[in-house]
Amino acid sequence: MIEVRKYSFLGLTAIRSSFAYLGEQLFGLVFLGVILFIFLQLWRATFAGAGAVKLGDLSLAQMIWYLAIAEGVVMSRPRISSEVDQDLRSGSLSVQLLRPLEYPLAKLASSFGERLVLFGLIAGTGCLLAFIFVGTIPFSLEGLGLFLLVLPVALLLDTIGFLMVGLSAFWFEDTTGLTLIYSRMTMILGGMLVPLELFPDFARPIVEWLPFSSVVYVPARLFVHPSFELFGGVIVRQGLSLLILSLIVFFVYRAGLKRIHSNGG
Amino acid sequence: MANVAVELEDLRKVFDFSVPTGFLRREHREVLAVDSISLKVLEGQSVAFIGPNGAGKSTTIKMLTGILHPSGGRATVLGKIPWLERGKLAFEIGAVFGQRSQLWLHLPPNDTFELLARIYNIPKLEFKKRRDELVERFKLEAFLETPVRKLSLGQRMRAEVAASLLHHPKVLFLDEPTIGLDVIARQELRDLVREWNVSQGLTVFLTSHDAGDIEHVSKRVIVINHGQIVLDDKVSAMRRAYIGSKILEVKFGTPPLSLEMRGVKILKRTEYALKLEVDTRIAPIESVMNAVLQLAPVADISIEDPPLEEVIAHIYGQEKVVA
Amino acid sequence: MISRFQNYASLAASYFRLNLSAMLEYRAAFWSQVLAMFFNNVIWVLFWSIFFSRFKIVNGWTANDVLTVWAVGSAGIGLSGAFFGNAGQLPRLITQGQLDVWMLYPRSLLSHFVLGRSSASASGDVLFGYIAFFALVQPNLERSLLFVLFTVSIMILFTAFRIMAGSFAFFLGSASNLATALEFALISLSTYPSALFEGAAKFITFTLLPAAFIGALPVEAIRDINLEKTVLVLFGTLVFAALSVIVFYAGLKRYESGNLLEMRS
Repeated sequence: MIEVRKYSFLGLTAIRSSFAYLGEQLFGLVFLGVILFIFLQLWRATFAGAGAVKLGDLSLAQMIWYLAIAEGVVMSRPRISSEVDQDLRSGSLSVQLLRPLEYPLAKLASSFGERLVLFGLIAGTGCLLAFIFVGTIPFSLEGLGLFLLVLPVALLLDTIGFLMVGLSAFWFEDTTGLTLIYSRMTMILGGMLVPLELFPDFARPIVEWLPFSSVVYVPARLFVHPSFELFGGVIVRQGLSLLILSLIVFFVYRAGLKRIHSNGG
Repeated sequence: MANVAVELEDLRKVFDFSVPTGFLRREHREVLAVDSISLKVLEGQSVAFIGPNGAGKSTTIKMLTGILHPSGGRATVLGKIPWLERGKLAFEIGAVFGQRSQLWLHLPPNDTFELLARIYNIPKLEFKKRRDELVERFKLEAFLETPVRKLSLGQRMRAEVAASLLHHPKVLFLDEPTIGLDVIARQELRDLVREWNVSQGLTVFLTSHDAGDIEHVSKRVIVINHGQIVLDDKVSAMRRAYIGSKILEVKFGTPPLSLEMRGVKILKRTEYALKLEVDTRIAPIESVMNAVLQLAPVADISIEDPPLEEVIAHIYGQEKVVA
Repeated sequence: MISRFQNYASLAASYFRLNLSAMLEYRAAFWSQVLAMFFNNVIWVLFWSIFFSRFKIVNGWTANDVLTVWAVGSAGIGLSGAFFGNAGQLPRLITQGQLDVWMLYPRSLLSHFVLGRSSASASGDVLFGYIAFFALVQPNLERSLLFVLFTVSIMILFTAFRIMAGSFAFFLGSASNLATALEFALISLSTYPSALFEGAAKFITFTLLPAAFIGALPVEAIRDINLEKTVLVLFGTLVFAALSVIVFYAGLKRYESGNLLEMRS
C-alpha cells in the first residue's frame, strides 16, 4: 500500500515539474488545428462522395469529435521510451541500484502523470476545435462515465507499450526505429485516422483483436457513441492486456538487468 | 618593421536586452561588456588575453572573429574589418574554441582534415603536404585513423590545433585550449603553439586562466576586467610591476638562526630550510641575501618570481582604473 | 557560376560522405532507422490507397495518385534530410550559440551549416520514394524526369521551409517545438488531394504552408504531364527559397548583435 502512495506521489511531482515541458508541447496545438481541419475537409468530402448521413454509425459531427479524442490519445504520447533508452545507455546508476520493478514503475508513474495532463490539454483543445467546426453532438452522462473509466487504462496500456520499446535498449543499439513503428501501428491500426468499423472486412477482425484498438478506438468511440456492449468487451480486454503487459515488463526488465550484470553494460 | 596583425581602437560593446522581472513586466537592461579598449598586436607576436569570467574577453574575441558586431569603435584583423569581411578573413585566421570541437566525434581526425581542405578550397597536393607536416610536428601519426571519441583529451587538442592550422592562417585565436589537460599534455600543447609562433611567425591570441599557459606561450599579456584593459605589458614586466616581491628559497648546512626583517615574510620553515617572500620595494634583495648568509652556512639558494596566479589574482582584485 | 556550383556540389558530397561514415559507425542503428522509415511509408501508402479506393471523393485521388504523392513527397523530403539535415537543427543551433562555429568558415553561412548533418531515416524516405515510384507506378520517360525534377524541387522547398520556421528562434527564443509542429503540419497537408481545400485554406497551402508545391501540384503535373503546373512548382520553390534566405540573414543580424540572450560569456 505504501508502494502505491510512493508511486502516486512520484506521479504528482512529475505533473508539477513537467509544466515547462508541457508549455513547449503547446506548440503542437498548431499542428492539431491543422490536422483536425484536414480531417474535417476529408470527411466532409467522403460523406458527400458516399452520399451518406452516417458512416459506420457515426455522423460527420460525431466523426470529427471522435478524431479529436483519438488525436488526444496519440499526440499525448510520452517521451518515456527515449528517456528509458537514454537511462539504460548511459548506465544511469539508478537503474542498477534499485530493486527490480522499482525503476520501471517509477518511470511509469512520472510519465503517466505527465500524459494525463497532456491528454487533457490536447483533447480539450481538440474538442473546442471540433465544436467550432461541427457544433455539438448528443452526450449522455453514462456515456461520459464509461469513457472516463476506460480512458486511464487505455493511456496506461499505451505508456507501458512505450516503456517496453524503451527497454529494448537493453538489446538494441538504437530504439528510435522501433518507437516509430510502434507509434505508427497505434495510429493506423488503432483507428486514429478511420474508426475501425470502416476498415475493410478482411482487416476488421484483426484490428479489433489487436491491443491498439483498446488504446485509441474504444475510448474515442465511447466518447461519441457509447455502448455498454463495447464497454463490457473492452474492460475485459484491457484488464487482460494490463496483466499480460505487466508480466512481460517484469520479465523483460529482469532479463535486461541480468544482461547488464553479466556484460557490464 | 612588422605589420600590424590585430588593431583595436576604442572598441565598444553594449548588450541591450529586456529581462522578464515579474509575471508580465519586462525590464530593459544594458550591459557594458567591452568599454572602449584599444590595442595593437604586431604580426608574429604571441599575446595572452586574460581576465575573469564576464570580463569581456570572449566578447572581444567574438568581435575579432567577426561573430559579433560592436556597438562602437573600430577593429581590424590583418587589415580587414572582421564583422564586415568575415568570409574573406576566414581564410587567414584560425580558431580553437574550448567548448566546441571542429573534429567530427565518430570519425578519425584525418577525415575532418580532408573535409576542411574542401571547406577552405585547399588544392589536393598542397593539402597533403600541409597535413603531413602538421601530423609530423604535432605527432599525430599514432592516432590519425582512430575515431576522435576514442582519443584522450590531450590527443584531441593536438589534433584540434593542427586542424585549425591546416589552411595556413596568419592569426590563431585560442580560447582556453588547455582546460582539462594533464600536466604533460598541457606542456606539449604549449610547446607546439610556441614553436609555431616562433618558427612560422604565426600571430597567437590566447585566452586562458592558466598561469602556465601565459608564461610559456606568450611574451605579452593583456589583462581585461570589467570590459577595460587593466594591463598591457610584457609578462616579465607584469610580474615585476604588480608585485614587487620575490620568493627566496634557502637550504642551510646547519639549523639557521631566526630572521626578522621588514618586508620579509617567512612562508615555510623547516629544520634546515627557509622559504621567504621578499617585498623588494621595502627590502632590496641584496640586503635580504646578506642577512640570510649570516644565519648559517648556505648550501643552496634560489631566487624566483612569484607564481603568476598570485599576480593575476592581485590584478583582478584591483579597483577599476579610470583612464 | 558553374564552377561555384560544382565547388558547392563537391562540398555537399564530401559532407554527405562524412555524415554517412559517421552514421555507419553504428551500423545496426543506421539500418534499423532506414528500414523503420521505409516500413512506415509503406504502411501509410497502403492505408491511404485502400481508403481512397473505398471512399470515392469528387476530384479525389486514385491509388496511383496516392502512391505518387507519397513517393515524390518522401523522396524530396528525404533528400532534404539526407543532404541538408542540419536545417532542422536551426532553433537549437541558435539558442545554444552553435552558429558561432559555422561563422568562422569562409563559406556563406546558410549554405554551409545546413550540410552539417544527415538523418538516417531520411535515407529511408529517399529509398522508399524512388523504389515505390519506379517499381509500382512504372512511369514512362517524361514522368520519370518530372519525378526526379520534383524530388529536387521539394528538397529545396522543404529545406527552405525548415530554415524559415527555424529562423523564428532568432526572434522568439526557444522555438524548436513550433518549428517541428509547423513541419508536421506541412507534411500532413501535402498528402491530401487539392480538392479538399478551397478558398482561404487553399491560399494557405500556396503560401504559409506550401503543401501545394509538395503534394497536389507535382502529383497532377506528373499524372497529366502538365508543363504549366511544373513551372508553377519551380517558381513557387524559388520564391520560397529566396524568402528563406532573406528571413535567415535578417535574423542573423539579431544574432550578431548578441542581444538575443543574456550575455554568453
